[in-house]
Amino acid sequence: MADKKKEKRANNLADQAVYDAYKDAIPENEAWTWQIEGLQPPHIGRPYQNAGVKKAVTVLILIVAIALSIFFSFRILHTDPFKYGETETDGAALIRFSNPGEMRSLTVDYAVSDVRTVVSTVTGEDGKPVQKTDYTLTPDKTRPVTSIGEYAFNCDEKLQEISIGAQVTSIDPKAFYSCYALKAFHVDPENPNYCDVDGVLFNKDKTVLLCYPIDHDLYLREKYGYTAQYWPTDKWREKGLDKYNKDYTPEYEARVNTYIVPETVKTIGPLAFNYAELFRIYLPEGLERLETMALFRNWHLEVCDTYTGKAPEGEIPALSNLKASLPDSLTFIGSDCFNCDEQLQYVFIPENVTEIGHHAFWGALKAASPDGVPRIYTARSGESLKANVTLGDQWRGEYDKGLFPHASEVIGGAARAQIDS
Amino acid sequence: MPLNYVWTLIGWVINDNLGFLEKKKERALYGLYFSLIVIGVTLIAAPISRLFDPNSALVTFMNGLEGVSFDSFFKLFGAHILWNGWAGARNIFWRKKLIPKFGRYKYCLYCDFVPKCIMVVLICWLPIYAIEDVVERVWKANLLFSIYSLFGFENVLENCAQNISPDTRERVLVRTYPIKLSHLAHSIIAIILPVIIGKLPNKWEDINVFHWVIPIAFVTSASLTMIFAGRIKERIPQPPLEKKVKIDFWDGIFGVMGNKYKWVNTIVGLLDSLGNGMLPFATILYLYTFRLSGLLYSLIVALVSFAGTPPDFFTPYFMRRFSFRQIMIFYQLSRAAGSAVIVASLFFFRTNVVLCGTVCVVVLILMEMCKTVPTSVGHDMDIRINDYQMYLSGERLESFSGVFGWFTGPIVSFVGLIIPLLLLSHGFNSNWDVLYVDDSRAYIIIIPILIDIAGYLLMTIPYIFWDYDDDKQNKVMAVLRRREEASLDGVEAPTEAREEASVHG
Repeated sequence: MADKKKEKRANNLADQAVYDAYKDAIPENEAWTWQIEGLQPPHIGRPYQNAGVKKAVTVLILIVAIALSIFFSFRILHTDPFKYGETETDGAALIRFSNPGEMRSLTVDYAVSDVRTVVSTVTGEDGKPVQKTDYTLTPDKTRPVTSIGEYAFNCDEKLQEISIGAQVTSIDPKAFYSCYALKAFHVDPENPNYCDVDGVLFNKDKTVLLCYPIDHDLYLREKYGYTAQYWPTDKWREKGLDKYNKDYTPEYEARVNTYIVPETVKTIGPLAFNYAELFRIYLPEGLERLETMALFRNWHLEVCDTYTGKAPEGEIPALSNLKASLPDSLTFIGSDCFNCDEQLQYVFIPENVTEIGHHAFWGALKAASPDGVPRIYTARSGESLKANVTLGDQWRGEYDKGLFPHASEVIGGAARAQIDS
Repeated sequence: MPLNYVWTLIGWVINDNLGFLEKKKERALYGLYFSLIVIGVTLIAAPISRLFDPNSALVTFMNGLEGVSFDSFFKLFGAHILWNGWAGARNIFWRKKLIPKFGRYKYCLYCDFVPKCIMVVLICWLPIYAIEDVVERVWKANLLFSIYSLFGFENVLENCAQNISPDTRERVLVRTYPIKLSHLAHSIIAIILPVIIGKLPNKWEDINVFHWVIPIAFVTSASLTMIFAGRIKERIPQPPLEKKVKIDFWDGIFGVMGNKYKWVNTIVGLLDSLGNGMLPFATILYLYTFRLSGLLYSLIVALVSFAGTPPDFFTPYFMRRFSFRQIMIFYQLSRAAGSAVIVASLFFFRTNVVLCGTVCVVVLILMEMCKTVPTSVGHDMDIRINDYQMYLSGERLESFSGVFGWFTGPIVSFVGLIIPLLLLSHGFNSNWDVLYVDDSRAYIIIIPILIDIAGYLLMTIPYIFWDYDDDKQNKVMAVLRRREEASLDGVEAPTEAREEASVHG
């Protein structure tokens, strides 16, 4: 130890000695011009050789560099409205749609070769001039769109209606993720693989529900003729009021904020109900799979019950045909399926479920329990659940208590609750 | 945007002359800046838009944009002009006034402390968010935050502490111990504040966070900064300010461009920019893979960031034992290896979130441990480059070094397009919830990391050309010290470059 200290001290002294010796070797009058061996000579107070040429070249390079920087900066902001890829058949694959501004409806049938924007000034409701934008699309009739790719419409905030042509035979489940303004799909009746039922997208035989548009409630309000007084307004939001007024009539709630999944449906697809503004959803007995993120972030969803028999139209199923929570036929609950469905009141996992994905009930059921502990009821006992069901990480979610989060409570071997009203 | 280039060019000349300009130039610049202030205030206060036809196509177009109107455009532009005029004028004034007393690195603390605190309180208390008209809210918020950004207060003391000593070993010791201790204090605050905020009814969205927590935390920290600032004294060997070398624009530009080591650093930075546009991987890991929140989140973040502290105490040893070149090449290779393990983990365990997250956190801890010594070395390299620049040009030319950013700007901008476009194709857009989708999350993280790995491997190449060793640094410092002595003995720098302005500090 002492030797090491001595060695370190010796090194320090040696460095200092080199430093001092070198400093003293520099004559004072050469301090500004002294060149250190292995380094460039100082250049102080002397004109540069060929300074004019160097300045010109530097300025030129800088101008080009700045121009390119500005160009690339603006290039980031520019995107083509439609981006297509080729498919194995002669058709085109719609890879990306970037709304050119105010486009509200779009028909996906043929590749669009040209988009013309027509801006006109019209008189608004208040008598002031308002800018109105229309779009003229030129379809390329030789290139039918046969597929819509992953995230093709991702995060579009303007598009309200999408019409799907007869030749579209493949739609990625994530194609319409986060389309906040989307209120309805319209599928060409000739389409062999897909159809729509009242604006909701299904596969042709209606065994798979593919996408419930996020703003489908707007479509339903318009359909049933509800006036603006029932609609959420910005003023309400600014006042911190909930988007939906709880004093609405039960009829309104049944028609606009309730969805009854058709009895033919066996699978609810990935992200099918992402961000849906629903209070109640009724699943058919016979449903087998709730795919990944199927009911992702349904903030207002309170009831997710099961009905038997045929789906009634526009009204809540009769009590005799209802049972609380998920259908007995269900076998699979995908990851993040009920993520952040905070208002959900009750979940019962039936015996047939063999797999529950990770974080399936993450952030769900928070408002359900007076003591703040979310509870999930399962038909299987705790041991049976662990032994026979493939459980994803943190599938049951957590709640905050004290300094650290705790896992939600699972009550095994429970009987399904009865619906009493 | 093009105007910014003009303001920046003028700023370089002022900064690297430490605010001491020829009288004529100083008067001209003050004239320019005061004119800008007047123009800026006029644009904000006067209804300029009324001079135009309200039904014209341009006005209608501007009024149709979200958050902006034709009228507010002038106010936003006015704020920009006002900011630049005000910033320029105070830059000359305060540098000239305070640098002779406090030195070039910490002078701004003394002129920025009070206004910065006032601005923090104003931002937190003024109900700009309650203005119903979005257009009005936007331009007023822009003005407020512009003025806030006028006063710099970030990391001044740390920057100062890293630069104060002319002795390499002392610099390393300062960086290793006192600065690390301050980081520890920072980590403790980073744990405590989220816990306090977590106790508020609406957590981070609670108005009390803005009314009380942020202002109190800021003013307390800033006051502590001011208390300790007095104990730091800048000791860069340099001639007295009245005899300092005068830096003309082209002297500055050619001076920095002639510095080989600045080019090494620039190329390294350019290659590092390959990862531009990458999302904060660790945050995604904590929030979307591990789903952490509250105290647990704070603890893991603190654990990972603290992992780098113990190795830093060995920094002096590593810097003595290995050359800068060896350390920096090892660093890039360790980053590449760590990132490769993370990619493998994300790819193979994408749905097994706990295993994936655990592997990633362990690798992050190891990478953090490998990072600290090279980070200190990197800081010292920057300071050595500035010392070397002072040897070459008679000034450190830290502002003129910004010209390298102009050269590399287009490449960085172009490269910066790559990752966002790749992320967009995997669903990353304005909605971060896409990170809950397992496949997308994996690719959104993996793709940029793969590009980053390529960058890390390429970054080893420029460091091969780093040959500025301790011996050269000692000699450079000896020359600088000799110049200081010579100036004090009346030996002046070459005539053409002598500072003609007198000091009135």
